[in-house]
Amino acid sequence: MNNLLSAPARPEASVPEPARRRSRTEVVVTVIVVLAVLAAIVAGLSTHRFATIANAKAIITSASLVGIAALGLTLITIGGSAVSLAISPSVAAVGMIFLSAQSLGLVPALVLALACGILITGLQGAVVGYAAANPVLLTIATSFAIAGLATGISGGETVSPTGTGYDRLNATPGGVALSVYALVVLALILEWTLRRTAFGRTLYLIGENRRAAWAAGLPVGRTTAVAWFAAGALFAVTAAFTAAFNTSANVNLGGTLTFDAIAAVLAGGTPISGGRGSALRTLAGAVLIAAVSDILLLRGYSTGVQIMVKGLIVLLVVILVHLRAKGRNA
Amino acid sequence: MRSRSLRRPETLVPLSSVAIMVVAFALIPAYTDSAIAPFDVYNTFQIFARLGLLALALGLTMIAGEFDLSVVGTYALGGMLAVQTGQEHWVYGLLAALAAGAVIGLVQGGVIAGLKLPSMPVTLATYITLLGLTSALSGGLTKTYSNASVTLWVDQTVLTFFSPRSLLTLGLFLLAAVVLSFTRWGRELRAIGGDRRASQVAGVRVDRLIVGTFMLSGMLSALGGSLLSFSLGSANPDPGVQPLIVAAAAALLGGLSLAGGRGNALGLLGGIMAVALLAEIVTVAALPGYVTQLFFAGLLGVIVVIDAPDLHRALVRQRTRLRPEGNPTSMLSRKRELS
Amino acid sequence: MSPGEDLVRVDRLVKSFGNTRAVRAASFSVAAGEIHALCGHNGAGKSTVVKMLSGQEAPDDGAILIGDQVVDLRSRRVAQRNGVALVDQELSVVPSLTVAENLMLGDLRARWINRPRAAGRRLRTLLDSVGLAHVELDRPLGELGIGERQLIEIARALGQDARLVILDEPTATLSDVESAYVYEAIRNVAATGCAVLFVSHRLGEVLDLCDKVTVMRDGAVVATTPVAELTLDSLIVQMLGEAPLRLGRRTAADVEGAEVLTVSGLSVPGRVRDFSIALRAGRVYALAGQLGSGASDVLRAIAGLLPSASAELTVDGTAVRLGHPAGAIRAGIAFVSNDRKAEGLFLRRPVSWNLLATRLPQVTRLGVLDPRRWSEALAVLLDLCGLDRKRTTHAVGSLSGGNQQKVFVGRCLGRDDVRVLLLDDPTRGVDVGGRAAIHALLRDATDRGMAVLFSSTELEELGDLADVVVTMHQGEVVRRHEGDTADTVLLREMTHGASTALVEERP
Repeated sequence: MNNLLSAPARPEASVPEPARRRSRTEVVVTVIVVLAVLAAIVAGLSTHRFATIANAKAIITSASLVGIAALGLTLITIGGSAVSLAISPSVAAVGMIFLSAQSLGLVPALVLALACGILITGLQGAVVGYAAANPVLLTIATSFAIAGLATGISGGETVSPTGTGYDRLNATPGGVALSVYALVVLALILEWTLRRTAFGRTLYLIGENRRAAWAAGLPVGRTTAVAWFAAGALFAVTAAFTAAFNTSANVNLGGTLTFDAIAAVLAGGTPISGGRGSALRTLAGAVLIAAVSDILLLRGYSTGVQIMVKGLIVLLVVILVHLRAKGRNA
Repeated sequence: MRSRSLRRPETLVPLSSVAIMVVAFALIPAYTDSAIAPFDVYNTFQIFARLGLLALALGLTMIAGEFDLSVVGTYALGGMLAVQTGQEHWVYGLLAALAAGAVIGLVQGGVIAGLKLPSMPVTLATYITLLGLTSALSGGLTKTYSNASVTLWVDQTVLTFFSPRSLLTLGLFLLAAVVLSFTRWGRELRAIGGDRRASQVAGVRVDRLIVGTFMLSGMLSALGGSLLSFSLGSANPDPGVQPLIVAAAAALLGGLSLAGGRGNALGLLGGIMAVALLAEIVTVAALPGYVTQLFFAGLLGVIVVIDAPDLHRALVRQRTRLRPEGNPTSMLSRKRELS
Repeated sequence: MSPGEDLVRVDRLVKSFGNTRAVRAASFSVAAGEIHALCGHNGAGKSTVVKMLSGQEAPDDGAILIGDQVVDLRSRRVAQRNGVALVDQELSVVPSLTVAENLMLGDLRARWINRPRAAGRRLRTLLDSVGLAHVELDRPLGELGIGERQLIEIARALGQDARLVILDEPTATLSDVESAYVYEAIRNVAATGCAVLFVSHRLGEVLDLCDKVTVMRDGAVVATTPVAELTLDSLIVQMLGEAPLRLGRRTAADVEGAEVLTVSGLSVPGRVRDFSIALRAGRVYALAGQLGSGASDVLRAIAGLLPSASAELTVDGTAVRLGHPAGAIRAGIAFVSNDRKAEGLFLRRPVSWNLLATRLPQVTRLGVLDPRRWSEALAVLLDLCGLDRKRTTHAVGSLSGGNQQKVFVGRCLGRDDVRVLLLDDPTRGVDVGGRAAIHALLRDATDRGMAVLFSSTELEELGDLADVVVTMHQGEVVRRHEGDTADTVLLREMTHGASTALVEERP
């Protein structure tokens, strides 16, 4: 399994003292990144109706829903558990719970949604953390299980809200959707947690080298599980906003959220092998992906092309991040 | 010797899963009101044909110590290309699908072997890209295949239980079994999955093998997708995650390991047959679709947890602890033997 | 080619890694039919020469000639085409393949289609020749022991009809009986006119088996001598390069503290049998043993890294359960692995993170990092391990091997809760300056009342640092030495075990 998620170990005879000179690979990587950003800007500005305030709002609103889920995924990725492929069904299931609990009032419904989100994703995290199960395959299985359970319980029907409290989540204070504020606040909290707490440090260390962390006696299982717990809570927040926005929920509520979140995390430059990354980078990645989708949408490309471009961006970023890391070591 | 080889996981796991499923299948009349008809066997093989090539494609990369998540993307694209370019003649469609599969494999294998990248993120990105491409090609719509004679031909009943499609799939499995066990290529494929450094030291050309494996995996997935489209008479741009789940479950039930190197095509055949039997049982028992989903998800989940390395470590530790303290006399006698 | 002619010539090979010159202008030649030993202490450059000859490293300068042709050995495959077969220092067989498949792996003559019947007879003879008559060809290698696997790798190399067979420490993990088979097989291969390059730490077998001996020291060839002109002692003189009867420059600790760690009946299946030791505070203990002696496994087992190990373990009188590194650390056992890249440091992280990785509870308040405590703890540690303060933000991977090791050792020091420090080959890949600094760190640790146990094969290190040296051979303790012991005695016991120790018992 080791060679699936982490690059194969290469025999290094000795590592020279730090050379401040940039290697050629690093230069090439930088040039490609700059060119890509320029191309995106040119494409954006030349697109009709792209550079308008209304469109900017549309972009950040769509970035906010993906972004909150991507923040959760960032925790999972930094901790070395690659990705979760169960984001969409988790969000759908929690969204359905959230709407059907509206009769209890907004706050109890939110608490219930958070609890369910934590439970669903946290259980998977505990298995990944303590048993070192393969996270990608495990989450493929759970995605199917969650979707199956949700279909079974809802009878395949669309859930309608049992109250109106949810509508407060659709508020637009200052003309900007509430979910955007939530995204910014959550990103800042997460960034602080990752940088300034023992949990954050431990998570980075485990993600970089799980075996070394284990040998050093760090709490590998517990920290991984906690990261997934937090991810589950963030997925639940996404679910509440998405369900509120759609005013109904069924098993397809998540849509392509899994891929969008992965694309946002990886486009932010977080390597899938773990140990690096930040919440703010993911935020940038989410905005980038939303902007690219928006350009493609305004230019009239189909959903298929949008997904394909996201995939290609992910592929390009995966290769560039890898090359840059290698250029640094060389 | 025989009992020892039976206890190996690559034999034991598929054998016992097939045995359990066959028994469950034979007992169908006991828990449903229907008797077993030859059609049920035919249908089992049809399910096998539907997913077999996908499982084989994934399995080959797993044996080589990699993991090709993109198989489902290639499967979808292959199916779509076969329909869209094969309207005139099925051969064009099949060739287009196979060529696309080979190119996808070449690019992925080249990136993974050339840049020494881990396979999971690369194939994940390809998977997303291919789903998008397939959807873009079809405008997100299901495309129908108008050549009904081909559709009839691939699924016609042969020898009561089979169809040309299931026989072709079965044939490819047997071919893979022969290649893996009896050729240099197969040996080296298993070697690089088992211990890549040791294989390199022994003189195996690892990079070439990886590229070749990904090409083969792409072509097999594309072929599987084309056959499915011909059979259904249509191509769906988004097959969902079910095929991947079933293929992964089949591969792991077939005795393959995520750590690579372990397993063979016959075990894989056993794994996919077990899954096909389970699917047929669920169909015959007329369980709702979501129960089937839960079945397969539970199956894969349990296997993934059993395969988890830290769980193994905990088990070894417990066994060492529970073992009565090694008695000193036997230690002494072993010492004497050695000196 | 007739025996006696030079078949393989190594001409002024040079290889550097970073700033270290691993091999400096090494030249020697091996004749057809000759068994040629390459000896030298650790770090002498033997392995690098082997890597260049087998196509795993490209020389910076110099040439390799096989049968008067200059060859460019770009990869293992090319080396094989030029007739070079290799038994690598690390066991290089694939456990998931069968015995027969391993024997054929990488063989240039292997056809596309296996023909088991045709190949079977040849492989059977090959196996019998290394004493594996009892092993079936279709058994998976994973079911065999380490020694048998090693024999199969040897058989693979010997069976390739090569012009040059390189065996890099082939007998390190073998018993005497198994080794005897290997010697016989090597002689037979040499008799067919093949050149054999034999790298070994076991000097007795070198003298018995080989025709000529090339000794390397500090990357250069000291001499090539026909074996008839050598004795064990003169060979050791060549390897050590100074009077071999030098006594350890050890300064015995004044005080002997209480027992800190006791280990009894430690066993690791297939690796270590019934190992016991008691460590006292303030003293440095060493396990002296070559690869495969079990010294490293003892340390890993005590540190909780080997789930299959069993032993009675106490720290300060309290029993400790084996198998959990976190448990061992809680009990006060810190471990410095010999693989600091895979199992020690977080290479892409700065020095500060690495030094404080295991001390997060001490530098945080309610789980939040306290910058003041962080920098205080960091300053203490930096002073302790003598690292430049400016370096704290550099990624550990960008430091030299010596400084990396200082960070690794430093991480385990400077805290009162660590009672025992275990180090597996602590100065591997560390230059002379770094080595002295690490030795000073360990001395400092014992002065604070810790007990130190390290494994090493370096005689100088054993002599300078350890108060007590325990020699190990093939998973068992050979002898315990307290006070001064001659290097020659240690080297003999590490390379031969107890049975051939020729010196009188020391009091």
